[in-house]
Amino acid sequence: MRKAYQQQPVLNRVHIEIGEGELVTLLGPSGCGKSTLLRAIAGLTSIDEGSIEIGGRDVTALPPKARQVGMVFQSYALFPNMTVFENIAFGLKMDGMKRADYTPLVEEMIGIIALEGMEDRYPAQLSGGQQQRVALGRALVKRPKVLLLDEPLSALDAQIRRSLRGEIRAIQRKLRMTTVFVTHDQEEALTISDRIIVMNRGGIEQEGAPEDIYAAPATEFVSRFIGSYNVWERTRLSDAGLAGWPPGELFAVRPEAIVIRPASEEPAGAESSCIVVSGRVGSISILGSIKRFEVDAGALGTVTVDALHDAHSRRLQEAADVKLYIPREACSPLRKSS
Amino acid sequence: MERGKLWPGSVVALLLVYLFLPIAATLLFSFAKQWQSELLPDAYTLAWYKQIFTDVRFLEAIGRSVFIGVVSVALSLLVLVPAIFVLAVYFPKWERAMQAAALLPFAFPPVVSAIGLMKLYSSGPLPITGTPWILIGVYLTIVQPYIYQSVRGSLRTIRAGELVEAAEMLGAGRWTAFRRVILPNILPGTMVAALLSFSIIFGEFVMAKMLVGGEYETVQMYLYNEMKSTGQTASAVVIAYFALILVLSGLTLKLGRWKPGRGRRQTQRRNRHELRSDRERAEGLSAAAGAEPGPY
Repeated sequence: MRKAYQQQPVLNRVHIEIGEGELVTLLGPSGCGKSTLLRAIAGLTSIDEGSIEIGGRDVTALPPKARQVGMVFQSYALFPNMTVFENIAFGLKMDGMKRADYTPLVEEMIGIIALEGMEDRYPAQLSGGQQQRVALGRALVKRPKVLLLDEPLSALDAQIRRSLRGEIRAIQRKLRMTTVFVTHDQEEALTISDRIIVMNRGGIEQEGAPEDIYAAPATEFVSRFIGSYNVWERTRLSDAGLAGWPPGELFAVRPEAIVIRPASEEPAGAESSCIVVSGRVGSISILGSIKRFEVDAGALGTVTVDALHDAHSRRLQEAADVKLYIPREACSPLRKSS
Repeated sequence: MERGKLWPGSVVALLLVYLFLPIAATLLFSFAKQWQSELLPDAYTLAWYKQIFTDVRFLEAIGRSVFIGVVSVALSLLVLVPAIFVLAVYFPKWERAMQAAALLPFAFPPVVSAIGLMKLYSSGPLPITGTPWILIGVYLTIVQPYIYQSVRGSLRTIRAGELVEAAEMLGAGRWTAFRRVILPNILPGTMVAALLSFSIIFGEFVMAKMLVGGEYETVQMYLYNEMKSTGQTASAVVIAYFALILVLSGLTLKLGRWKPGRGRRQTQRRNRHELRSDRERAEGLSAAAGAEPGPY
């Protein structure tokens, strides 16, 4: 699939396949093309080249309503002049269903999204989370072949976002709904997905299961976007006089994989499996249950290290001299970002 | 505290006196039997109101003004609302042209355009100078900016583009999406624009005088002619006109605060009741057929 906008490629030879009942997340920063890709699947944006198939049927030339896809918009796009019931019933009415036929379906859906008793309310009388459920119910009640979610949680506050995310996943599993979920929030992507497709500049950087994406980022972009990985080039490592690295030009190390100790201590047995670097603590920040150290490690630059709040980390203050123990197996080689 | 409130209070009071003094004087004058050199009239009467409201000429003038206003507003809504919607949702890059067009009527002083129009339409293929049709045509252009701003604002507030996309994804055609989803939601804003336009047209004088003049006496022309004879009937006309505009403004304000859904709750509830009995019937039917009540 390709799409250009004023000669700027928005989607650059993107190829994705989504299995039935699978929840796939398109993850990337704003402007990476994930929303364009979603709108192309929906038929709201045309593509310059390539094709889109849903359930083996080529829908590239079909208008949105003929594609059997449901979509939840970032702003929900609920119809303000209609009640919850009427909003959810709208799509079935448009299919020419009679009131007696669609009423049980709509009520069933209201049960699934847990909004019983609110059928007569207007969108303006609902909270953000409730509006989001209505938008979800409105898209699901038509039993689409594919459900598209365009940053559906970004307008909600953190707590509701977390609980609604779980509910969306539960409903999706229950209905075995093939779903494409767009987000720029890596935590959201990691918790909700069967598979994550990381996008950058209109292309796919990496795709895989959440644990693979997190544990083994393939490119520098992914490692920086997914976690606060330390990314080093081989030349910088040899400049720092460090040896014993696995082959490759670029390496990423998770901040929680590095062990930080005061310079005066010598933990037994660590030397053989680890690369040891000396440094000085620059700044310390508290991230809930962990402490994040920014360590100035000379030629290696600033190294980010995460440690639990334990007896070891509590003794470390800013400007303390430390030693970093970097396990060799925690260094994953990266390919250059395209 | 007291001192802090006194100052803004007195400014507002002064402003109100400044605004309402001429109207108050006109009101008194319209009720006065005679009012020459005293501070207040010595006797009051409703005679002037009786006189204008029994004057067939005045009633006809009102009828003409209402006709011109209603036809002009209706035509401009019919043409402009769909046009603004189509531009905003499907051709956003042409909106600049529409914005420029919406400013044009302000760029030409009425007297200037009236003279041009008079020349253009007094002969040739469309000799309508002196008929109400030229006024309707002119008023279409005069109210266009107000309707454009108001409808465009309403469309933006409801995020019309996304609503149309949502409706289309749910199987609605473009026309259905406009009629069922967009129109009900921009109705309050559109009604405000319509009332405002009507008020403007109802009070317009320059075009009416220059293009149609004595041949088609509207309320403004009647007032102009009355001022030349008795001041008191003219005052009564002004007050009657003012009362009408006040009612229109009140309606406009009320509509401006209207939100979809409010005031419709009773009917909604009744509908739901019907729905429930429909559902029971549906379930009864499917139970009779030995089928599951729904596909889920």
